[in-house]
Formats: sequence, C-alpha cells, structure tokens
Amino acid sequence: MVLDPNKDASLPEPIRRFLPAFSGRPLGPLLTQAMRSLAQRRPEAFERLGEFCKAHFLIDPTDLPFIFHVVPDGRAALVHTTGKNGALPSDVVIRGPILLLLGILDGSLDGDALFFHRAISVSGRTEAVVALRNAIEDAELRPSDLLGLGGNVARFADSGILGGLSLARQIVTGTHRRERTDS
Amino acid sequence: MTTSSRMELVCPAGTPSALRAAVQAGADSVYCGFRDETNARNFPGLNFSPQELAEGVRFAHAHGSKVLVAINTFARAGDTDPWRRAADTAASCGANAVIAADIAVLDHMATQHPDTRLHLSVQAAAATPESIGFYADAFNVRRVVLPRVLSVQEIAALNRAITVETEAFVFGGLCVMIEGRCYLSSYAAGRSPNLNGVCSPPEMVSYDEDRDGTAARLAGFTIDRYAPGEPAGYPTLCKGRFKAGDKAGYLFEDPVSLNAGSMIVAFRAAGVTALKIEGRQRGKGYVTEVVRAFRKAVDAAEQGEDATEIDSILASLSEGGRQTTGAYRKIWR
Repeated sequence: MVLDPNKDASLPEPIRRFLPAFSGRPLGPLLTQAMRSLAQRRPEAFERLGEFCKAHFLIDPTDLPFIFHVVPDGRAALVHTTGKNGALPSDVVIRGPILLLLGILDGSLDGDALFFHRAISVSGRTEAVVALRNAIEDAELRPSDLLGLGGNVARFADSGILGGLSLARQIVTGTHRRERTDS
Repeated sequence: MTTSSRMELVCPAGTPSALRAAVQAGADSVYCGFRDETNARNFPGLNFSPQELAEGVRFAHAHGSKVLVAINTFARAGDTDPWRRAADTAASCGANAVIAADIAVLDHMATQHPDTRLHLSVQAAAATPESIGFYADAFNVRRVVLPRVLSVQEIAALNRAITVETEAFVFGGLCVMIEGRCYLSSYAAGRSPNLNGVCSPPEMVSYDEDRDGTAARLAGFTIDRYAPGEPAGYPTLCKGRFKAGDKAGYLFEDPVSLNAGSMIVAFRAAGVTALKIEGRQRGKGYVTEVVRAFRKAVDAAEQGEDATEIDSILASLSEGGRQTTGAYRKIWR
C-alpha cells in the first residue's frame, strides 16, 4: 500500500475524546501474554533482535491517550501501558498515529518512508530501532499470531482485522473518498 | 556488450520475507547478503544466515527467479576467512551469482567455484572498457554493475566497447560519485561501507527532538536539523546539511532518491542487460511497491511503451520525498 504521507492518519477527534487514559490498561497483560506465547510458538521471530531483545521501547501512539512500554525479550517479554504522563525510562521512543504503527507491524507500510516524511518519529538508540524494524519485517506477523489462533479461525481473523485496518487508514486519510470518485 | 533479450529486473532483499515479497512482486533476480561484514549492508537484524539463504534460493528457483549474493566489501588483511566462507557458502547454497568487488574474493570465486557466475559490484567502481576488460579477463566476470556516474549515452558507448553484460541502478538511494572509494563516514564514525559494510553505524546515529524540530547526529556530530514536518533523509555525512559563511546547504549531495523509471526504454536502447533497484535496508512494503511498479514499467518498455506515471507512484517511498534521474541525464553539462 502506498500511503500519501501528506495525509494525516490520526484517529478522528471524537474517537480520541471517547477514550480515557486508563482504557489501555488491560492491554498490558494481554499483550505480554500474547508476546510470550508467540515466542514459544515462533522463537525465530525474536532471534533477529539479538542483544536488543532486552532494550526498553516506548511506543507512543500520538492519537491515543496511553503509551506502551515494551521489552521484546521472547518468553520473558513485557508490555506495560501507562497514561502519557507515566513514561518510564526507555532506550527508544517511537511516536506516530496508531494506524501507521499497526501498518508497520503487519508489514503493509514502509517504516523508512513514514520516517522520511515525518509521519512517525524515532529517538534514542537507533541500532535498537533498526533491529526491531528488521525483526518485525521478517516475522511477517499476522493478528492470529498474536492472538494464538490457528486454522480457519486464524484466516478469518487475519482477513477481518487487516481488512478493517486498511479500511480505517483509507477513511482517516480520505483515500476511500478519492478512490470512489476516481472509479 | 549489447543485448536483444528481455531486460532483467534485479531487486533487493534484506530479509527472507523481503526475498519472498520481491519474488512474488515479479523480480527476475533478488540480491541479498550474509549477516556479517562481508556485505555492504551490515545492519542489526538484517541479512541472511546460511540456512535462510539456502531456503531463499529454493523458494526463488521454485518461482522462476534467481538469487545473487553480495559479498561486496573488501576483505581485511590477515583475516580473510569470513569472505572465503561467505563465497563458499553462497556457492554451496546454489546462488546464481556472487556480486563482488575485492580481487581476493573474485579470485577465490574464479578458482574455487568457476561454475558460479561472477558479477562485478558497483563497489569496484569500474566504468571504463579497460577496467571492465581487466575483471573480465582475469576473473571471468560476466556482468558489471555500473557506478552511478555515467549518462545513458556514455553507457551506450561503453556497451559497444565491452564483452560483458551491464546492470544499471534505476531506483533508490544515491551515493556521492566515488563508489567503493568513499571513506567520508570513517572520519566521524571510524568505520566505512567498503570495509565494514556500514557508512553510518546505527549505534552512532541519534535523532534528538527539541522545540525547534529534530537534530540528526552521527558519532556526536550534528549533521542535519529538520524543522517539524520537514522531510528527512538518511543520516549519512554525505547528505548532511552544513553552514558555510551564512549559507546552510547540502555540501555533498541532496537527500533525494534515484528514479530512472521513465528511462527504461533508453536503457534498453543503450544495451543494458539488467535494471537494479537499491534498498536492501528497506522494508517489505517498499520492496513490494517498488518491484511491482518496475515490473509493470519494464513489461511496458518491452512492448515499446514508456511508463512515466512511475514517478508519481513511487514519490512517497523516496528519501526526502524527492527524486532525480541523477547522472543518467547530465543536465549540468
């Protein structure tokens, strides 16, 4: 997917206002469990991180009221969510709209292009970001990997979630309107 | 050497998933390297283990594509084993060709693995009939990857004077015009692309944000400062913005991407055998989009059509958001 970098991909204001800061709290334990379970099923997905599996990544979706602290240490992985004011010390900070960050995670968007166009920002230990980016790229993660699903349920979940994300990106950037007009 | 057969599209892969993406998007050949300093893209988390290369070769061959292995840094005196091992592994994995620049690596391949094709890396900076002739005679090099210093007319003249195939870059990052001989970054970082496979080692790069925007630093030296929202480039010294007197500007090179997609017909007429896309350090999304766009453009060129819309398709994937045809159209002459 080629995303117009000049289009704002942030969630609309009404959705952002609807979400309180504590709404991210349940995600921490759920994502911790999902990452550890992924490491058990696909240990190779974490190998490319090398020494950076112990690095502390702060992921800040700029259009959500909470942030993620992630230590992608395979079976000892940790994900912790806090409000914007609760940032813990970190090696790396990655900031951007949530739909773009998820696009990098599922491999549908190019992280370098988003960085060049300043749609996302990165600071801290660049080598850890590069290792994380390359590990995510090669892992070809699907939503079903994180949810621990298999078979037809996995296929259904993947197509539903990825299709939904793609549509959401088109809606917030206005691309769906242009495509409809063009056709 | 001029060619009348279909032009080959040579595409980058930094990971096995990028290799699969390139093959599925229509690459005729995919180039990649090992996870060490034997290739010029030695970044954390990037590149292939021997087992991943063997699997990648099997996948590519099953889909009718070829795999070219870049062993294109210069071997270290007194410690040539990593380069020897990389060459032996590439050959044993069934790679279709090895891309090399160092005469020690070329000699090892020519004597130990004569059945594996040898391509001369752009790192060798061979751009004259005499230098290319030397590599062809001494090591049976079959193809030369051209440095990005020649105009299309000069490539046509070169092709008439040599007996090996030529491969020209058509998209991606640009280097200043001394490929294979650039030690600029080593003055700041102590390492170079030619010897260590990195010109800006990521551990020496930082992006620091403050009220005025973002400062890009290499080994503590500020090499650029971006206002909020201003497009950024790779954190290399050659693309740094410096102040001389009262004027700030790009001293060596602007942060722009090469895009010669509108010149494919001209490359064909100039006798170019293969078109190369740069970007082993880029992600799968980039590989898929760029390869797909160039597959369409090359197929159109084979039908005698041009594909000018490729510029707008790929603008969003360009470094700094800007594109150039580089030296291929030497408009400054």
